[in-house]
Amino acid sequence: MQHPFRSLFFFIALFGLLSFPASSQSLLDALDSEPEVREVTATFKDTRVINMQSNETPGAGVLHFVIAHRFGRINEGAYSLWGLDNASMRMGFDYGITDRWSLGIGRSTFQKTIEASIKGKLLIQKSDNSMPVSLTYYGVTMANGLRWTDPERDNLFSSRLSYVHQLILTRKVNEKTSLAVVPSMTHRNLVSFTSQSHDQLTIGIGGRHKLTHRVSVNTEYHLPIKGLDDGTTNSLSLGVDIETGGHVFQLHVTNSQGMFERAFLTETTGRWLDGDLFFGFNLSRVFS
Amino acid sequence: MKNTFLLLLLSGSLVTTAQQHITRAGHVHFFSSTPLEDIEAATHQMSAILDLSNGSSAGFAFQVPILSFHFEKALMEEHFNENYLESERFPRSTFEGTIENWADLPDNEEWNDVIASGTFTLHATPNSTTIQGQARKQGDSWEIRAAFDVLTADHAIKIPKLVQKQIAEQIAVTVDAQLTLR
Repeated sequence: MQHPFRSLFFFIALFGLLSFPASSQSLLDALDSEPEVREVTATFKDTRVINMQSNETPGAGVLHFVIAHRFGRINEGAYSLWGLDNASMRMGFDYGITDRWSLGIGRSTFQKTIEASIKGKLLIQKSDNSMPVSLTYYGVTMANGLRWTDPERDNLFSSRLSYVHQLILTRKVNEKTSLAVVPSMTHRNLVSFTSQSHDQLTIGIGGRHKLTHRVSVNTEYHLPIKGLDDGTTNSLSLGVDIETGGHVFQLHVTNSQGMFERAFLTETTGRWLDGDLFFGFNLSRVFS
Repeated sequence: MKNTFLLLLLSGSLVTTAQQHITRAGHVHFFSSTPLEDIEAATHQMSAILDLSNGSSAGFAFQVPILSFHFEKALMEEHFNENYLESERFPRSTFEGTIENWADLPDNEEWNDVIASGTFTLHATPNSTTIQGQARKQGDSWEIRAAFDVLTADHAIKIPKLVQKQIAEQIAVTVDAQLTLR
């Protein structure tokens, strides 16, 4: 019995004979090799998408300085120049211990909060999709610095503390578009009412799309899952990243005024439809 | 069917009997110098081929994976790949040409001047060029080295005004490699 593919093999062999000398005319063909599998870089331009953390960390030995502002409510109107009269500020320093792990400190005027954080890349997306996503851990401890409302009471330092743990799942879909899914667990040691939950769960989704090499539009949204207080709204932010050499400017509009994790994840009260929004920016600079 | 495979194998082996020298670990270094900032990067992943089967002139080609360039500062490397060379879209820089004066090289093991003329492609923009270099015979293998300048404007590499004082228009490139008989 004749093998059904026999003529096909013969054809391929013939084709091989004919095409071989033709292709060897280009010396470059002899140099072609398998593309090297690399770790995907530049999923986001900065360590934050807008408010929430991205997968990026400063490289080893790099100091990343961020100064961020959120102005007052836009719906305050012309009297306070649509909020620009009032600014809330955050300063942060993140330092890359290794290429994967960084430590950070930050201070916000909002509730006079000091933060200490650690961020590490657990998994890194690979160019051949043998690892299709990056997975990054972010942990932060926040200390409220406001004076006690009732100094007569037996106030404990631990009551000032709250914690957020996040797993940041990101994928650079293509050269321009990157996506992030960020489940977060927030724990606060002190709640105002016994009906409130100490532990709160949220899931953030976000992404960026590059318009040019140096400009991208970013967005993020946080869905409440469990334990959020009554009266809070879901944080939604829209922004633009502009990169100029060693600086990244992130300009945005958000309904969250706080710039540390607990505040924007669980204490957002602004409503987009009421114009209850804050204009703001993050300006980052690296030193190495 | 066995015969056809044999034929395939044979057709392959006929071509590779040509006298060719090859490397996959050539070194490329570039340097951009301005009063404000010096930027440099290097790779050891240049592959190159020297084809001496043609008698009087030699065929010469090289290929450099752009993403293999390593910078001292990670952010520079990111900007180089993302903003300037668009390395995901245009992953390779190549040169393909001939060394016309190959037959005139003296039969010694000294460095001798050679001139390669051909097409240099960077950022998917080809440019006819001649590269002055040197070659030295080392037993069965050849060592080559060259230094030349690449103009960013020749290869459609856009540099924004803001950083024009930090990135040179003319980038100094050096190449060296040892090509062994394959």
